[in-house]
Amino acid sequence: MLVDSQRALMAHLLRRAGFGATPPELDTYCAWGYEETVEWLLHPKDQAALEEDIIERYYIDWKESRNIEGALTETVYRMNCNAGVRPLQEKIALFWHGVFATGLAKVLHEKTMLNQIDMFRGYGLGSFEELLRRLARDPAMIFWLDNNFNHQDAINENWGRELLELFSMGVGMDGQPNYTEDDVQEAARAFTGWTIDDDNVASIPYGKTPWLFRYDAEDHDAGTKTFLGETGNFDGDDIIEIICRQPSTARFISRHLYNFFVADDVQVPAWQNTPPPDPDAITALEAEYFRSGYDIRSMLRALFNSVFFKSEHARFARVKSPAEVVVGTLHLVGDFKFPRVGFMDTALECRYMNQDLLNPPSVEGWHTGKEWIDSGSMVERINFVADNLGDATHPGVRAIVTTLADRNPDAPGIVDGCLDLLGNVMLREDNRNALVVQAEAAMNEGAGVEEVVLNALRMIGSTREYQFA
Amino acid sequence: MTTLVEHPVSVAGLYRYHDVIGLLSAGGTGFSGPVSVALGPDGLLHVASRANPNQPEAVRVTRCTIEGDYVGEFCGWGEAPGQFIWVTAIAFGPDGNLYLADENAHRISRFTPEGEFLGHWGEFGSGSGQMNRPSGMAFAPDGTVLIADSLNHRVQRFAMDGSPLVSWGEYGAGPGQFNMPWGVAVDSGGAVYISDWRNDRIQKFEADGRFVAEFDGKNGGDGFARPTGLAVGRGHIYVCDWWNDRVQVLDADGLVIDTLIGHSGTSRWARTFLDANPDIEEKLNKATQNIELKRRFYRPTAVTLSADGLVFVADSYRHRVQIYQQL
Repeated sequence: MLVDSQRALMAHLLRRAGFGATPPELDTYCAWGYEETVEWLLHPKDQAALEEDIIERYYIDWKESRNIEGALTETVYRMNCNAGVRPLQEKIALFWHGVFATGLAKVLHEKTMLNQIDMFRGYGLGSFEELLRRLARDPAMIFWLDNNFNHQDAINENWGRELLELFSMGVGMDGQPNYTEDDVQEAARAFTGWTIDDDNVASIPYGKTPWLFRYDAEDHDAGTKTFLGETGNFDGDDIIEIICRQPSTARFISRHLYNFFVADDVQVPAWQNTPPPDPDAITALEAEYFRSGYDIRSMLRALFNSVFFKSEHARFARVKSPAEVVVGTLHLVGDFKFPRVGFMDTALECRYMNQDLLNPPSVEGWHTGKEWIDSGSMVERINFVADNLGDATHPGVRAIVTTLADRNPDAPGIVDGCLDLLGNVMLREDNRNALVVQAEAAMNEGAGVEEVVLNALRMIGSTREYQFA
Repeated sequence: MTTLVEHPVSVAGLYRYHDVIGLLSAGGTGFSGPVSVALGPDGLLHVASRANPNQPEAVRVTRCTIEGDYVGEFCGWGEAPGQFIWVTAIAFGPDGNLYLADENAHRISRFTPEGEFLGHWGEFGSGSGQMNRPSGMAFAPDGTVLIADSLNHRVQRFAMDGSPLVSWGEYGAGPGQFNMPWGVAVDSGGAVYISDWRNDRIQKFEADGRFVAEFDGKNGGDGFARPTGLAVGRGHIYVCDWWNDRVQVLDADGLVIDTLIGHSGTSRWARTFLDANPDIEEKLNKATQNIELKRRFYRPTAVTLSADGLVFVADSYRHRVQIYQQL
């Protein structure tokens, strides 16, 4: 099979920085060139925003989802609509949602959760310090980790602990702990009085109103604190400033970015005692973290333009998350780009594949890589993809069928054409040959091109390579 | 939230807040995303709830008195005859029956006021009599019905039996062109008013479709943002200025003469709920920053008038109908 290496690399970039790309989109990106496409991805606010009026016009609970399914639907719909115009904005929101995992199982206020995801869209590519400042003031996070119960005279250390353990430094690195229990207590003291105005979760009688951050100076512990070896009259922003200066924070964020955008790592709890899979890549990302002043956009620019990212070894090296499977497939087939009835059932596929967006299993977020896969989720993934790729009423599928039919292809032409048009999917040679044999048999029995193409698409969707990014 | 409302008036003082009916509910006493409101020949208020995909049972038409006494409801989420999913508008015909537009099934269904299904017409398409997401609907004095054929960017007139009579409009921003029209109203002389949703304007036509004028809400005001439902009566044009969360009142020449912003108090249904759930009322009252906010309109979608000067506004995101009295 003849592979256009530039196109294959571009498809790889879009699978990671977005949710894949359609053939016309790949044409556009290839015409721009790799580095220009990276810059386009890194600056989503320069691209057209969603037509919110049209979406709200049809999905009338768009602004005020009143249940977890509605909020999940809003999130997945936005990802699907933005997949062709602001893909990295959605991907970075998904990334931070996995790192700063907050859930409706406790928060019970859908709009407040959706506001948090919007905050990730708006600030997820900027300064990590600014992001942490906003996270510390985020009402959903405050409620999720009980900082509204963190008082001057009775601290609640939940937020302070997770800020260090799961959101910035990690428990340890290179076999050593990164902080002490005293640091946790002192961090918690610094965030006393950081609370919310209203924790009402009732929709009745007239719907909900979003929660708001409130600083209660009278409930703040203004005393001297000692944190990570520094002593002062610290408040929450001071704690965040100190955190961002730590080498452990550079390591933790670099490793997360590598795990999400490059290749699967071990699960986060094992990072203290397990070295990164590619130490040189992590070192390069750590250096960019400090050089850029903790700028996530700069780190991603370095990552996407690196040899380790472009390497053949990085291709199809990550198991797609359920959101990537669902949104990537929807984007490819071109379904639900305009509102119609039935999207909630599609959005819920993420839940059925083990990623209940906006409702992670715990504050640790979802375990990734091979842990996405079990017998149930595998069946869901394959069925969902096969159902969609095999449905010629979808405009994206119809375009593939039409394109290939015009070529009057033989069986290898159909299989290779499908692989190309699905975004340069690179199958193992034996798998590819098996599909060719299947296609030849069908054609010998009189099947038309459309039938053979649709069958090939269904089978490609069930391959290891399609289920990997 | 539970503050007593002591007869506040509209911005220019031409209207006084009168009452509110509503409560978020998937059935019985309450609404779920009301998008249309109509007064039946029996004097009962009919309110269509669009609800959301996770509450198919809440898609319904509720019947109640204008004092807020619940009478009944009919529903049936689906695409079979007599069912509906994406209700956009309801209106009473001169035959006394209720007509309901469903933009999922691209058709108009006909019911008795009590909800007995009588028939339907329409199908998806762009040909004569076909529709692509019908939105607003209003009956003319001659008994014909005007329908905003939203994604075909046109207005269609039908006989009461569904026979297509005439249509006008195409996609665009010029006179007589539309960009996803939504609301429809007809005055006593037969003139037709269309809220041209994505062009942020109201267009007025002669009964035969000849363009008369356009009103953008900037004459005496600061303009419309995605106008939805509208009504005409007693010399005024009422426009649900959807994205501005208000109802604009215009005179016959398009001058903005007043603005309704929403002054909701606690409805009878809400009072019953809160009396049974004092813990919720306590939390609502503690959130003082939200009390004023929750009195205001939030995406008003439809408006209808009574003969004696009451103005009924479907306050969609707040799941209620706010009522004003013209002074």
